[in-house]
Amino acid sequence: MFLKQIPPLNSLFSYVLAIWALACFSGCTPQEINFRPNELHVASLSQDSTDQQVSELAKKASEHVGELFGTPDLPKWPSEIADVVDMVKVKRSAGPVGRDKSKVEYGLFRKHCVQCHGTTGDGQGPAAALLAPYPRDFRRGSFKFKSTPMGKKPTHADLVRTLEKGLPGTGMPAFGTLNHSVEFAEDIDALAHYVRYLSVRGEVERRLISAIVNQENAAEQVKIIASKVAESWALADSLSVKPPRLITAWVPEDRTAAIERGKAIFLSELTACSKCHGKLGDGDGTSQDYDEWTKDWTIRAGIDPNKKEEWKPMKRFGAIKPVLDSSRNLTLGAFRGGETREDLYLRIVLGIEGSPMPAIARKENDNPGVTEEGIRDLVEYVYSLSNPVTGANPVTGANPVTGGADPTNEKGAENEQSN
Amino acid sequence: MNNPTNPRHALVYLAAMLVTVLTFPLIWLGGLVTTHDAGMAVPDWPGTFGYNLFLYPVSAWVYGPFDLFVEHGHRLLASVVGLFAIVLCVIAYRNESRGWLVKVCYLFLGAIIAQGVLGGVRVLLDARTIAMIHGCSGPLVFALGSFIAMASSKRWRLASPKTGSNGLGRVAVMLLALSIAQLFVGAHLRHSLPTWRPLFFMSLVHTHLLMATLILLAVLYVSVLVRNFANSANRELRTPANALLVIVTLQILLGFATWVANYATPWVELTPWLAKYTVQGKGFWESMIVTGHQATGSLLIVCSLWLACRSYRRVPVEQSAEQSVASLNNEPESTARKVFRPESVSVGVE
Repeated sequence: MFLKQIPPLNSLFSYVLAIWALACFSGCTPQEINFRPNELHVASLSQDSTDQQVSELAKKASEHVGELFGTPDLPKWPSEIADVVDMVKVKRSAGPVGRDKSKVEYGLFRKHCVQCHGTTGDGQGPAAALLAPYPRDFRRGSFKFKSTPMGKKPTHADLVRTLEKGLPGTGMPAFGTLNHSVEFAEDIDALAHYVRYLSVRGEVERRLISAIVNQENAAEQVKIIASKVAESWALADSLSVKPPRLITAWVPEDRTAAIERGKAIFLSELTACSKCHGKLGDGDGTSQDYDEWTKDWTIRAGIDPNKKEEWKPMKRFGAIKPVLDSSRNLTLGAFRGGETREDLYLRIVLGIEGSPMPAIARKENDNPGVTEEGIRDLVEYVYSLSNPVTGANPVTGANPVTGGADPTNEKGAENEQSN
Repeated sequence: MNNPTNPRHALVYLAAMLVTVLTFPLIWLGGLVTTHDAGMAVPDWPGTFGYNLFLYPVSAWVYGPFDLFVEHGHRLLASVVGLFAIVLCVIAYRNESRGWLVKVCYLFLGAIIAQGVLGGVRVLLDARTIAMIHGCSGPLVFALGSFIAMASSKRWRLASPKTGSNGLGRVAVMLLALSIAQLFVGAHLRHSLPTWRPLFFMSLVHTHLLMATLILLAVLYVSVLVRNFANSANRELRTPANALLVIVTLQILLGFATWVANYATPWVELTPWLAKYTVQGKGFWESMIVTGHQATGSLLIVCSLWLACRSYRRVPVEQSAEQSVASLNNEPESTARKVFRPESVSVGVE
């Protein structure tokens, strides 16, 4: 009797069910996701081209690269070039998010990274325009926080470090919280391989576009370019710079003297640190510059990034509003490349690739520059801007001189209380 | 049959409350599924890794990966809610005198089933667009369950439709429409597709912020409006209005925290703490904040509906609730009280 009372098929709720069913099967099937052709790079190299020409050229380059490197769902690696990625790990990171029947998780990049970095690794994910700084575009092959010299690729460990620890004050998360999962180490490692894969693929595409614009044969060039790019990644580990072990247990008078010497170097014309970071290191310098990713499609293409009427037409090719790469306020102690003295040493010696921060000029033979001792003093000075009293460890708050926690340091005070 | 104190009606109310209360954690779990991108953590449906849904080993579920825990848990709880929705329909069929309310109960059961099917199709097709529709309709189903609880309450039976001008009612309906629209925009942000252009996403965020401002203004206006009513009967409008004020304040705070948890603050160099703040990818508290923002959004819809219902059906001014019960009660009081004591359970959503 109860069943008889259930409204017949033409009742209201069956209409609702029908609407849902329609929604399910009309146009809701998953779209095939492809790498986005690099139209912005084409447009910046050939500004006289029409939109259609830009689109066709970018598509042509993308297709050639696609033959070598596959698609976001089915990545592949050409056998002719250096084997700088682990394709098993790349395939785990690629494709849609989910687990297979044996519970292995796939689609790590889309799960953790695509919202900002985009499917192509072009830094054009959905949330990109709202972030400061903008997410990294891997296709240039440039990475900021690494242990290799300017112009060289980062090591695998550099990428893993950024994934694990994140970048403070930016949208780049620390995935160290995945630590509770037994898959953590594999996930981070797999993602680092996929970032390498995207970077190689994207850089090959960029260089191929330049070759095509220069009337070179794309089919011939693509493998040559791919070999060169892969080779540069293969060299990275051998170029890694190991920072020296720096003094942490300072005698206070020695530290004060080192800081004074470091300050003099900071303010000197030779390093010109204060021009960007300000005389007090609070980021109040006079320099107004853009990062290399922005300069690529603006200044190098003859476009003034300060003039909206000039850069705005590039928006249709995927450009996002140029933003000044402002100098960091060193007194806050928020160092994105790491907050230990060794991390600061690497930033000073190697610079920050793609940003206006150069590598320091080192004294070699008769060339003017800063000596190794001077660099160490400079590190101590920069470190002292956010750790002014005793040189407490910024992570543990431990005072190396007294052995106890530094009460002037926030973390040190916390440790002191908990003790 | 339309007796406010009829114990059989109280039974319908209790069942409706139970199923509504169960639906809220289901929305939380669904939100966690989205936060952890766990929609495909179990690749088959309606089974779980080849097992019947209910026979999947508890140890594999509890001690397995977190995304699997969340997704399978969502499916199990959804089954429980579906079961209670069937119970509600049986109880309503047997005890509810108002035919339209019984049909709404059927509609609710149908909506629950449709939600389940939609969730299943999302898995079978691996389609994020369907996940978004599933996420949008979840809070609407919750609101429907809440409406059944409101309509089966004692207060609803005591009240009568508001006659004459009803400015508050119009604002409440507008607030309800805005909250639902906000839910849709929010669901788009939560289920954004990797192919979306940054400028499209940015326009969605701006729309979300604009609508949040409109909702806040509407809630503030409602608060002022209900405080201007002098008579005691209209004081009951203050309860949903106050709840809305609390929820919208919480929601704005959660919205800001959600942005920070996902993308850090835009003003990083304001203080050392902000400059040093590092977003924790899939961190526990971050997940809770983001999911909480989504779940509170569904409470906003329910509270708007609550206010709208109370605005359009008001208890007569000169008649207190107790007096109304006495005047309308035609059944022997002893029988009613022996079994259910409905006056003691008729407070809650309504």
